[in-house]
Amino acid sequence: MGKTVRKLLLVFIPAALCAQSSFDQGRALFRSNCAFCHGMTATGGRGPNLVSAPLSHGDTDVSIKRVIRIGVPGTTMPAFSEFTDEEVGQVIQYLQSLSKSSLRNENVPGNPQHGQQIYGEKDCSGCHRIGGQGSIFGPELTRIGGARSIEYLRDSIIKPSADVPEGYEGVTVVMKNGKRIRGLRINEDTFSIQLRDPSQQIRMFQKDELIGVTHETESMMPAYDRLSATDLQDLVAYLATLRGAVDSSAAVKKAGGIK
Amino acid sequence: MRLPVFVGWVCAGVLCAQPVTFERIVNSKAEPQNWLTYWGDYGAQRYRDLKQIDTSNVKNLRVEWIFQTGQSGAFETVPLVVDGIMYFTAANGFAYSVDARSGRQLWQFKYPMPDGVKLCCGTVNRGLAILGDLLFMVTPDAHVLALEARTGRLVWNREMASTDQSYGATLAPLVVKDKVIVGVSGGEFGIRGFVDAYNAKSGERAWRFYTVPAKGEPGGETWLADSWKRGGGATWMTGTYDPKLNLLYWGVGNPGPDLFGEVRKGDNLYTAGLVALDADTGKLKWHFQFTPHDTHDWDGCETPMVLDIKWKGRDRKVLAQANRNAFFYLLDRETGEFLMAKSFARQNWATEIDAKGRPVLSRNADPSPEGNRVCPGLAGAANWMPPSYNPETGWFYFPVREQCDVFFSAPPVYVEGKAYWGSMFRGQTEEKEWGLLKALDPLTGETKWDFRYYKAPWAGTMATSGGLIFSGDEDGYFMAFDAKTGKNLWKINTGNRLVTAPITYTVGGRQYVTMPSGSALLTFALP
Repeated sequence: MGKTVRKLLLVFIPAALCAQSSFDQGRALFRSNCAFCHGMTATGGRGPNLVSAPLSHGDTDVSIKRVIRIGVPGTTMPAFSEFTDEEVGQVIQYLQSLSKSSLRNENVPGNPQHGQQIYGEKDCSGCHRIGGQGSIFGPELTRIGGARSIEYLRDSIIKPSADVPEGYEGVTVVMKNGKRIRGLRINEDTFSIQLRDPSQQIRMFQKDELIGVTHETESMMPAYDRLSATDLQDLVAYLATLRGAVDSSAAVKKAGGIK
Repeated sequence: MRLPVFVGWVCAGVLCAQPVTFERIVNSKAEPQNWLTYWGDYGAQRYRDLKQIDTSNVKNLRVEWIFQTGQSGAFETVPLVVDGIMYFTAANGFAYSVDARSGRQLWQFKYPMPDGVKLCCGTVNRGLAILGDLLFMVTPDAHVLALEARTGRLVWNREMASTDQSYGATLAPLVVKDKVIVGVSGGEFGIRGFVDAYNAKSGERAWRFYTVPAKGEPGGETWLADSWKRGGGATWMTGTYDPKLNLLYWGVGNPGPDLFGEVRKGDNLYTAGLVALDADTGKLKWHFQFTPHDTHDWDGCETPMVLDIKWKGRDRKVLAQANRNAFFYLLDRETGEFLMAKSFARQNWATEIDAKGRPVLSRNADPSPEGNRVCPGLAGAANWMPPSYNPETGWFYFPVREQCDVFFSAPPVYVEGKAYWGSMFRGQTEEKEWGLLKALDPLTGETKWDFRYYKAPWAGTMATSGGLIFSGDEDGYFMAFDAKTGKNLWKINTGNRLVTAPITYTVGGRQYVTMPSGSALLTFALP
């Protein structure tokens, strides 16, 4: 091996190691901070798909950095304000390595117009709200297409109990006269519980006035598992189109995590 | 008329202004009207023979006064009460003295922290120590201060170690004889922990004990290569003391990096353990490691309570600790001999603790790149919140945290002054946490009763001869329980999470109970 080659190797090997280490750091940061919502492979889950779907807030490094740093107001995306520039860069580098912008034009199969019709027929607005229309009993869906992966949306319809969003946990309280009241928990502590019943009335109890409080493992939403495959696909396609603006006046959550 | 020279020593009315001596602290149980040291007594039993407030009348307890500090951040102080005067700290370097009957301020002190100083561990503070006419406190930037008790004037100020190396301090100092014993925070930042002793009068350092031995020192072989230099082992909670043995018992925090053990193969002495030190010299008498080669941040800093019990028919001087790793331990405090360990909360990291006190590890309980769910979580099944002991029931009362985490690991890069975690942990949002106030028989580790909280708590307990246990929960309820049955007898929603332990004292024959909440110091009494 000639001197020049050796010299080159001396330069290139550390550079390669460095790149690998930066990629590894990005992956480690992603797994421990982001995968919980976006999935281990970043293809989405409780949070949006970051690999093969359009990114609501832009897919340039600058826009991704902004979202990581300051979060998305009014959503569950928190601000990772304690990340250093280097760390944010490593996460972005890892993400961009998983995807090319061209891939982020996921084609959602199905007929969204027909899906919207199914939404109406099944009276989804009896619990959900889109753009100010409908009930606030269940989660708001105005921008659900930008917030969840396609798989998550499909699962939420046929197996709603698979993942119940925070703030929508069902509880049943049994009063001393034997009457049972079911609702969504608004708040609870060691001695009291506050819930919203299906008629949207707020009900408040001291626990010593109750026989029992049961935390339901099942979602309050019925499973729509008898929809035909086409209807389900169309309904998901419709939900995927819902990419309304976020409420920028809403508070941003701060990531509690430590790198 | 000339006043006799001993006038300062004479009790006038209800107030009795004698200087606080080492002997008074040793015999602190003989003056239940006062709370002379962080734990209330050197053994940290947190029991007071006061029974004006008891199981029959505690339902009438009401707020007597509130002192508003206006300081944000967790209010983790435990006040001292000396002959009618209360002394306490708040976050951000504040200390106060108030009339313990009315809550009216006597003085306020603010530590002039240098601008731009980088703090590893926040600005929280857990309280003061007193000796003679001096009070002692630590600061977020790892200084030890002496203040004049009558005025709050700064008498001396010593730096323990530099914030550039991420040292900080949060604990209440412990006074033993003529020395002020303190420890440091920064275990997540690659510090090398130590316990320090300072001369109370002069502020000169008397001794230092490093909790992470260097290469070549005994225990140094338990650290891979030079990993001991960043080994952690913070000493962030006040120790306990046995005056007869003249031994200090000090908990040692996690090894660093917290979650990535590959770079520090070995047991990593004395981290996640307990050291017994000669109080005069700081020399190590014995050590015990609860969690060898810890990778879950399970500090050994939980209260090492001093108990004298009959163990297997023989009088035994022991230490009792409900450890962060979910096991309750009994150790012989003369020798460090392991006597018993029993789990008190859900745990999946150890299949058992062997006859010598060493855990037998489960599989898949180490942090991993993909994450492993481990119980208890990083904050532990117990933590720094003080337990208490009631000699009448013979039971140990403490808060239990039922909460698990997913632990990740990745090789960290050490940069001075930066966090050195080795990846991270994440809550199990699918699994609801909860909490317990637990009464446990320290002889067997068996549960005598539990009271269930909605959330995992961060408040300690206090026991009285009125048959009561006082404690608080994460939703802000300050509560009193029947020590025998665990029945909740009284509660008040204080409006903020409770993150310290209550005290009780008397002035003029009237019993008070004090608990910080939010930025308010709440004091209760019977009407």
